[in-house]
Amino acid sequence: MVLNNFEADATELLETYDFLMKFIVIGEAGTGKSCLLHHFTHNSFKDHSQHTIGVEFSSRTVKLGEKRIKLQLWDTAGQERFRSVTRSYYRGAAGAILVYDITSRDSFANLSRWLADARALASPNLVVVLVGNKSDREEDREVEWADASRWAAENDVHFLEASSLSGENVEAPFLLAARAILLSIESGTLDPEKAGSGVSYGDRALRRVNSSSRLSFGSFTASRRKGSVKLKVKKWIPGSKCC
Amino acid sequence: MATLSNPLLTPTTSGTATPTIERKPSGSYGAPSRNPVSLRLYKVLSTNFEDESTKQALRTLSDLYSTSPSKGNDYSAYALNNDIEEEVTGHEQTFSTDSSIAQPSLPNLTESLPGEVASRARKNLRRDMENQLAEGSRRFLAALSEVDSRLGELQTHVAVMRASCDEAETQLALTNESSKMLLERAGHLRDERQEVEDKKSIINLFLSRFTLNAAEVEALTSRDVSVGPRFFEAMDRTEKIREDCRVLMAGEDGSTKAGLEIMASTASNLEQGYEKILRYCSNEFRQIGRESQIEVGLILQEAVVRLRKRPELLNEAFTSLSESRQATLMSSFLAALTRGGPSGYPRPIELHAHDPMRYVGDMLAWVHQAIAAEREFLESLFGMKSDMRMVGSIRKFEKGEEEEWVRDLMDSAVGKLCVPLKVRVQQTIRSQESSIVSYKIANLLQFYLITMYRTIGENALLCKTLKEITDMSYKVFYESIEMHSQLLERAPLDPDNPSLTPPAVVLDHVHILREIMVVYQSSLAGDEHEDDITAGFNQVLDIMVDPVVTLCIAIGEQKQKVRPRWDGGVYVINCLCYLQGVLSTFDFTVKKREQIQTTIDYRVTQLTQDHTINITRDAGLLQVLETIEKNENKEPLSRVPATQTASLQRSLRQFSLWLSGIEVVHSPRLAQLAVQKLHTKIHQDALVRLSKAYRTICDEVKKPENKYEAASTLLGSERPFGQMHLLQQIFGFDESDDEESESSDDDSSSDE
Repeated sequence: MVLNNFEADATELLETYDFLMKFIVIGEAGTGKSCLLHHFTHNSFKDHSQHTIGVEFSSRTVKLGEKRIKLQLWDTAGQERFRSVTRSYYRGAAGAILVYDITSRDSFANLSRWLADARALASPNLVVVLVGNKSDREEDREVEWADASRWAAENDVHFLEASSLSGENVEAPFLLAARAILLSIESGTLDPEKAGSGVSYGDRALRRVNSSSRLSFGSFTASRRKGSVKLKVKKWIPGSKCC
Repeated sequence: MATLSNPLLTPTTSGTATPTIERKPSGSYGAPSRNPVSLRLYKVLSTNFEDESTKQALRTLSDLYSTSPSKGNDYSAYALNNDIEEEVTGHEQTFSTDSSIAQPSLPNLTESLPGEVASRARKNLRRDMENQLAEGSRRFLAALSEVDSRLGELQTHVAVMRASCDEAETQLALTNESSKMLLERAGHLRDERQEVEDKKSIINLFLSRFTLNAAEVEALTSRDVSVGPRFFEAMDRTEKIREDCRVLMAGEDGSTKAGLEIMASTASNLEQGYEKILRYCSNEFRQIGRESQIEVGLILQEAVVRLRKRPELLNEAFTSLSESRQATLMSSFLAALTRGGPSGYPRPIELHAHDPMRYVGDMLAWVHQAIAAEREFLESLFGMKSDMRMVGSIRKFEKGEEEEWVRDLMDSAVGKLCVPLKVRVQQTIRSQESSIVSYKIANLLQFYLITMYRTIGENALLCKTLKEITDMSYKVFYESIEMHSQLLERAPLDPDNPSLTPPAVVLDHVHILREIMVVYQSSLAGDEHEDDITAGFNQVLDIMVDPVVTLCIAIGEQKQKVRPRWDGGVYVINCLCYLQGVLSTFDFTVKKREQIQTTIDYRVTQLTQDHTINITRDAGLLQVLETIEKNENKEPLSRVPATQTASLQRSLRQFSLWLSGIEVVHSPRLAQLAVQKLHTKIHQDALVRLSKAYRTICDEVKKPENKYEAASTLLGSERPFGQMHLLQQIFGFDESDDEESESSDDDSSSDE
């Protein structure tokens, strides 16, 4: 029976991927980092969740254009007392999802500290996406979209608002970050071959092609893939507020 | 017939004979035609010979006598002259045409005399005819005899033929007879052949069902065919064959030779197949092992699934996998430690070795992340559906074969990291001078130990190592705080310092304790049981707090001896209260605080007594009171020197003076107490006792057996004039306080 599925469902059965990227999810305690991640990986809201202790891990493979990207997601505890532990996990992350709570001015006020930490400790090409979580609670809003957007622009990070309760925009930050990383790989600023970049090639065949001649790989993707990626990008975040 | 006709036409004798025969009848005709015959002639002439048959007859006749055509012309020229000749010419012409073949016989006759033939013919017609006929008959005869002889011959032939036919028939019959057997045999053979064909097709079917074809065998055994769908199909076929064969052999016939052979050959094929899978897996594993980020191909996954039927082979493959994973993880760990990322970014972990928390934390986080990746790899290798659990949250250890493998492989892959990790962590732990940092490290290790317990199980090598270094780090920490405590004991007594506040050495020590408690507080996850929380810190408290208590008491006592005026009691209470104050901000210190509180309470009671005596003395009532209490002989007090009326009056005056002094509301001694509440409480208690003492004195004075003269005058001469409520007003007691004071009175009396 296994054999019958062998070829037909090969893509479904096996989580093959072109790239593997390491992401961290950071932000103040209680901003809904774990819920956001839970919604992203399980497609459901995580009720009655407690504070994360230390660091938790999960992963998900997403498709971006023709590329399959495996995301290794490290969910960190926001509580101050875990800072020393969680900081160790920033090391070599390719992307950071920086979460604040739109109903809490405090969680927004501390963003700079988080960002500075992440920039200092993660990969040099770290892609940061700022997520204003709990967008479903408009009536309790304390952080205006414009404020956050301005802050994001000033600090050169992507920004959008999401709700891990309703699931609105839950995937977008992860895809946005992955896309940005993919683009920097294709533009050559990021090299997945190097350890510590937070990204690595998944498919071994691809890697072999690549290692034998990097130039051909570059032109090959540039001519063929780039366009398609861009095309898809518009499709996968319809109506997202990202700038 | 040709032979028969030949004699008729041969001109040899008949040519010459014909004219002679014909001459006779014509001669005999000619004679009577002259006269009587002429009538007849006319008659004849008048007859019509125009009918076809006559013409035919004449023509035939003429042919008989005809010569060559040229001579015929001569005859006709001649015949024109005669009426009769016309008839003859016609005869001759017909004859000549008829006997044109016999030409050579006639020329002799015709050449000599024209018309002679005709005349002779007229004469010899009949004879000629008869001759002709005879000749013809003879020729017939000859011919027929010839025919006859031939027929005879033919008959012989026929007879012979017949004989041989008969013979042939007999032989045929014989042959038939004998061929019947052959046919029968052939039929049998044909049947047999059919049977054999059937068997053959059955056997072919059987073989095709129960043996592997060349391609499949090749797929199984050859190194040229890589492990892939084709190979797996062949494996499946082999398995199927064996299964079918087993079903067959289970039948009533029992195991057949063929069955056994099939089993044997398939077994060998299968084994080769498994060997091949093993080679493939080992090879793949060795390659996979060398990569830091890993993923599993579908074929490899399938191969592992298949190899599960051969646990010993699987184990072998796993051995090579774990070996290579070990090496890879080890080298990437060392790279992360010493080299860092590309172009040194992220920085090598060892760069932060000066920051022990970060150093240890980074190493452990690295290991934790490596475990997560390893786990994902192994899960995909075994095709396990991820339970969508987050690493770090509590894992239920399922009892699955895969689960076991994953655990074992994880254990061995990560196990190699233990040594470098252990060495570095131990080094870091040992080099720490600050016990706070030691404690932080210990807590960090403890945190990771718990995380790892939940992730890879308690029996994993890494967990054991972690446990070891955690224990060691705790040990180092305990040693360091013990050393602190010992230092405390050895702290030099400072007799010249008049201060009653805790000494610097205690302050430092408690400061460290506070820091450690902060660390402990923050290490709590919040879901622990209260008792566990308390128990988790008891040892630290025992080590750190008890010596402080002992020390303070010791200092208090020692210093008191050296400097009697120095207030040891207040000092001890101050120290203990400070300690208590620090501890009280942490819930988990509750037991230790209870212990200290007992000590404090004891000290406070002591101080209260001391203070009571002091103020009683200051108030001038002490001597009186002591005398009253010592008066066991029941001697009237007025007779005892100390309580004689005069001295009693002196005492009462002093008390009166004291009451208007400041010490009533404020004790300068107790002002040294850091805790204001204690000051108030002790002083109040002392005042209560003082008032009680005053009451005792009043009661005694009023007693008639003490024989005081004008007792009420004596008491009333000075404040508070023997009136308790007045004294209580001065002391600021309420009515309720009064009752309390009375009850405490009883207490103190019972104490005595």
